[in-house]
Amino acid sequence: MTTTIHPAVQRFLAGRIWLRAHTPFPLPLINEQITLGHIQTIPGITSTLTPLKNQKHFCNRCENDNPIRFTTFDCAKCNGPCTYCRHCLKMGRVSTCTDLIYWSGEAPTYSQTHTMAWAGQLTPSQQKASHELLASTKQGKAHLLYAVCGAGKTEILFEPIYQLLSEGKRICLAAPRVDVILELEPRLRAAFPSTVIDALYGGAEPITEAAQLILATTHQLYRFQEAFDVIFVDEADAFPYTADETLQRAVRKAAKPMAPIHAVTATPSADLLQARRKSEAVSVLNRRYHGHALPVPRYEPLWRYSQQIQKGRLPQKLIHWVNTQLEKQQPFLLFFHSIALMKAVEPLFQQLHPQIFAVHAADENRKEIVQKLRDKKVPGLLTTTILERGITIPNVQVAVVGAEQQIFTKGALIQIGGRVGRSVVHPTGDFVLFHHGISYAMDDAKNEIQKLNKGGRIR
Amino acid sequence: MTECLLCNQPLLDTPSWKSVLSIEEPPLICATCHQQFEKNDKKDVDTVIDQVTSLYTYNEAMQTYLHQFKFLQDVALAAVFKKDLRKVLGKSAARSKATVVPIPMHPERETARTFAHVEELLKSADINYTDVLEKIHLESMGTKTKTERLNMERLFQVKSNQVIQPKTYILVDDIYTTGTTLRRAATLLKEAGATRVEAVTLIRAK
Repeated sequence: MTTTIHPAVQRFLAGRIWLRAHTPFPLPLINEQITLGHIQTIPGITSTLTPLKNQKHFCNRCENDNPIRFTTFDCAKCNGPCTYCRHCLKMGRVSTCTDLIYWSGEAPTYSQTHTMAWAGQLTPSQQKASHELLASTKQGKAHLLYAVCGAGKTEILFEPIYQLLSEGKRICLAAPRVDVILELEPRLRAAFPSTVIDALYGGAEPITEAAQLILATTHQLYRFQEAFDVIFVDEADAFPYTADETLQRAVRKAAKPMAPIHAVTATPSADLLQARRKSEAVSVLNRRYHGHALPVPRYEPLWRYSQQIQKGRLPQKLIHWVNTQLEKQQPFLLFFHSIALMKAVEPLFQQLHPQIFAVHAADENRKEIVQKLRDKKVPGLLTTTILERGITIPNVQVAVVGAEQQIFTKGALIQIGGRVGRSVVHPTGDFVLFHHGISYAMDDAKNEIQKLNKGGRIR
Repeated sequence: MTECLLCNQPLLDTPSWKSVLSIEEPPLICATCHQQFEKNDKKDVDTVIDQVTSLYTYNEAMQTYLHQFKFLQDVALAAVFKKDLRKVLGKSAARSKATVVPIPMHPERETARTFAHVEELLKSADINYTDVLEKIHLESMGTKTKTERLNMERLFQVKSNQVIQPKTYILVDDIYTTGTTLRRAATLLKEAGATRVEAVTLIRAK
C-alpha cells in the first residue's frame, strides 16, 4: 500500500465539492484516494428534525434549505426514503444516498511565474482604482469598484490579478451571466498567456489541469468550497445574483475563510454602496476611459405600441428608426421586456431586413449570433435584458421598446445605455427609450447619467 | 408559495371553491409550461393489443420533460401528468375490472436510476397496479434497430408468483415508439390466458 497522492486528482478536486460517482476519473482511483485519506466524503443531503418533528433538509453542495426544493421518494438504491435537492439538480442529482467528495489532502501549489501581455495604458483614474483595489485585497477587505459602463473595468483588474497570481494565489472572476463570462474569457486569456485559466459555465467541461484563474458563472460556484484567495464578482448587481440568496452563499463558500470578495459594477445597489463607503473600500470612476460623456437617453413616445403590434402592425417610429440604422449601416440592438412581444415583432422586422433576429435566454446559439452582429453579418438584433451588460459592439445604436415596463429598472436602463459609444472611434451613438408613458426608473436613470457626466459625486 | 416543477416560476395562487374544498388538487406546473405539451389525438390499431391510448405527442417540451424525469432523475416530475393518467386508467380499469400492469425495468437498471419511472407515474396518480411481469434482458429498446428489436428472443416473463386470469389487462409504459415492447408483453399475457390486453402510454413518438 502506498500513500501517494494522485496529482491529477489532486489538481482537479482541490477546492471542489463533487459527486463521487461523476468525476472525470475512474471510480477505483477515487476510492483509492479516499482510502488513503486524501479525499473526504460527506452525504449529499443532511436532514435534521425540527422541534416540531418536521424534517429539515440541507443540500451540502448548493446549501439550499428551501423546503419546496426538496423531494423525498422511495429509493431503489438505498431502499428507503431518500431526499434529493431540486435546486442544483441540473448539475447531477444530489440525494441522501449520494456521496459528495472534496480534497482534504495536501493542497496543490500554484505557479508564481506569470506574464501579463496587456500592453495598454491605464488612465490616471483607472490607475488609482487599480491601486485601491490591490490595497484592499492585501488588507483582506471587500472592495467595490463602482465604474460607469465603458470605464474599462476589466483592465483595472489586470494589475491586481497579475500581482496575486505572482504570489501563487488562486483567483476567481465570477459573474451572474454567462454572456459576461464568454466576453471576458478571450480578454483574460490574451492578457495572461502563460496562466492556466479555465472558464466554467453550464455546458462547459472543466479541464483537469489545476486552473489558477477561474472564470465562472456564479452558479458554477455551487461546486466549489474554500478554493479561492480572492473572488471578483463582476456585474455584482445583475439578476439572478441579487435575487437568489443561494448564489451569494455559493460565492462565500467558494472563497477561503478570510478571502475578500470584491464587487465590480456600474450600477451597485444603495446598500452595497453604503456598506463599502463605510469601510472606505470603494473606488468610483465616473468617466469612460476615452473621456467622452455617457450617452443620455432620449424619450420617444410610442403610444399603444403593444396593441399595434398585436394587430400585426409595426409602429411607424420603429420602422423609421430601424431603417435609419440600416441606411447608415450601423449595428443596432432593440430591447424588449417580454419574449412573447419580441417573438411577435420578429417577422415584422424581417420584412425590413431578412437578417434581423431575436435572441433570448433560451437561445443556445446566442454566442454565435452576437458574434455575427459584431462581424456585421447581421444588421441588428432584437433582444431581452439578457444582453443588457457585458457586451461590447463598436458603434452599436440602442433602442428600448416599452421602456416604461417594470423590468427596465434604473440599473437595467443605465446598463443598456452603457452599450453605446464604448469605442474610441465611435464614442457616441443613439440611445432612445420608446415608451408608453414615462416611469420613475427612466427619469432616475437619465438623472444619474447626467449627474455622472457633470462629474458629480454619485448619490 | 409554490413553484412550477418545470420552470421554477412562482405559481400564482388563485384559490377556487374546488381547491378550498380540496376537490381539486393545486396545479404543479404553470399554464405556460402546460401549453407546451401537445395532446395526442391519433389512435393506433394493433393486431395483438386490443386498444392503445397515448396521451401526448413527443415534442420538444416532452423531450425536455422526459430528460429531466428519467435522466436527471427528477422523481417529482412523475406527478405532472397524474390527472391525465387517472382519467384514462382510473375509470376504464375500474369499469372493466382490469388489472393495470406497468412495463417493468430490469432490477439493475432500476437500482441505477433509483426508481422505476412507470411505477412512479402510477404511484403519484394513485392508480392501483400489479407487478405481473419482470424483465429478463438488460438492454434497452432505444439503442436497437427495428429488426434487432423484433429478433430479440424474450424480453419479459410472468413473475413466478403471479397467475394470469382470463380477463382484461392494461399495460402502461412511458412512450410508444414502434410498439415492439408493448406487443411483446401483450403476446406473453395472452399466451398465459389473458382475454384482452390494452395499453396506455404517456407519449406517442411520431
